[in-house]
Amino acid sequence: MNAARGSLCLKNVTVAYQGIEALAEVSLTLKPGEAAALIGLSGSGKTTLLNTCNALIQPTNGAVSIDGKKFSEMSSQELRYARSRIGFIHQSLSLVPNLRVIQNVVSGRLGQRSFLGGARDLLFPSTNVVEKVYEVLDSVGIAEKIYERTDRLSGGQQQRVAIARALFQDPLILLADEPISSVDPVRAKATISLIREICKKKGLTLCVSLHNLDLAKTFFPRLIGLQDGRLIFDKATETVGANEINKLFNLPDGCIDFGPLTSKPSMLGKSLE
Amino acid sequence: MNRASSGQRRMVIITLAIAGVWAANALKLNPIDLVTNNTSIIYDFFSRALSPAMDYESDVPLGTKPLIVKTLSAAWQTILFAAAAMGISLIGGVLFGFLASSSLMIESARGTVKYITVTLYGLVRFLMALIRSIHELLWAVLFLVAFGISELSAVIALALPCTGILAKIFSELIDETSRSAAHAIRGGGGTPIQVYFFVLLPQTIPDLLAYSFYRFECLLRSSAVLGFFGYPTLGFYIAASFENLFYGEVWCYLYTLFLLVAIVDIWSNQIRAELKL
Repeated sequence: MNAARGSLCLKNVTVAYQGIEALAEVSLTLKPGEAAALIGLSGSGKTTLLNTCNALIQPTNGAVSIDGKKFSEMSSQELRYARSRIGFIHQSLSLVPNLRVIQNVVSGRLGQRSFLGGARDLLFPSTNVVEKVYEVLDSVGIAEKIYERTDRLSGGQQQRVAIARALFQDPLILLADEPISSVDPVRAKATISLIREICKKKGLTLCVSLHNLDLAKTFFPRLIGLQDGRLIFDKATETVGANEINKLFNLPDGCIDFGPLTSKPSMLGKSLE
Repeated sequence: MNRASSGQRRMVIITLAIAGVWAANALKLNPIDLVTNNTSIIYDFFSRALSPAMDYESDVPLGTKPLIVKTLSAAWQTILFAAAAMGISLIGGVLFGFLASSSLMIESARGTVKYITVTLYGLVRFLMALIRSIHELLWAVLFLVAFGISELSAVIALALPCTGILAKIFSELIDETSRSAAHAIRGGGGTPIQVYFFVLLPQTIPDLLAYSFYRFECLLRSSAVLGFFGYPTLGFYIAASFENLFYGEVWCYLYTLFLLVAIVDIWSNQIRAELKL
């Protein structure tokens, strides 16, 4: 393979489901080692955008490329390789509940293994593999759970298993879709901080979708705002103004707290009639 | 539950009831038919249920194995036939279950489902329907005509419909399984075959085992009945004793069969309880 370093480029990407555009003409580039947070309301296209980045969703128009190579021009082998170097932490965690933690983590590397190699990793892992899994689990702080059944872990611990699985891929790019939606606020901050630090240390390109604006601002140097599938802004965090944020979240100007998002009093009154 | 669907449910229940009555009428089912003049035979047979034979009910040549030993060896033969068939069916069920499920259609590399995949899917489902539409005993008769008494053909006769049934059930269990982990592994470069064996199959294992154990019970019963065609399973001795009106012996064999099924049931419960932990 050529010198893959983990740059990600979307060019005029449009994704339409039965004529409805989930993503419209989005272009953005992430340089190797860069970290960005994807923000926007539910349904703004964050998940769709992330899913185009490992070709789980094919754009209707436009192209996504990894290190200069378009997904649509890759052979099956190349696509498999490219995917195996993109870690993805899913919102629903997507773990196999009745397997052990070690088996879930090991399955992250299936993309780099043959069928029999994968079978061996899952059923009779070599000492080498066990050590590597232990290392990764240690880096997310749950090394002692290595042989536990995954569904016996708490939500926060399962979260870490999902992170460990993505890291075990030895990725160049790490994508995370609302990785903190299943954990409490304290854990949420620790989780984001953890992901951020690991990526910094290993020089991974990172793109995380978040609905927690504070965390996005605290931990990411670059914010990408999405609204109804359109890119509203994409710039350094400190240059994003309050009015841009308000616009993104459909808030009236000069109002940054999230109170009005829940429900409007006038509408509440109407529904009671 | 809204009004429309509760009305629908009522319609279904009424239709089923009418169909049942109509079918019974068409078959001219009449409880009086059960009352016969042969009450003594019925009485003889069922009264021995409480006192199954522990030894032969007739004189046997010297050196014949005791009844209990013969029963146990027949039970062992019954288990052997069933186990051999189960082994084949499990392998067949898992392999064909993969092809008969939509696993290969999960997000193929180009995002489109290939025609060959769909053709294979349809072909395998058709084949599985074909082999399970013929009962194992019917297969056994066909093979008996073709090959004569042969252990291998008996095992294959048992295994064929069982494979068809397991492949169908396995494929449907797989298709009911949450796809979220499957998509995650696919997105990480896993192949459909890896996803099937290492992600989807593990999730269905509790259900898969429970159903396989049930199929094993069915195989035990069928394996016993194979004896009626001359194989050395329990059915062989049941038929012989029944012909000679040795009802006590018949009950001895029947209770052994019941015991086998009960043991499989207990075994299955134990394993499933362990898997839940």
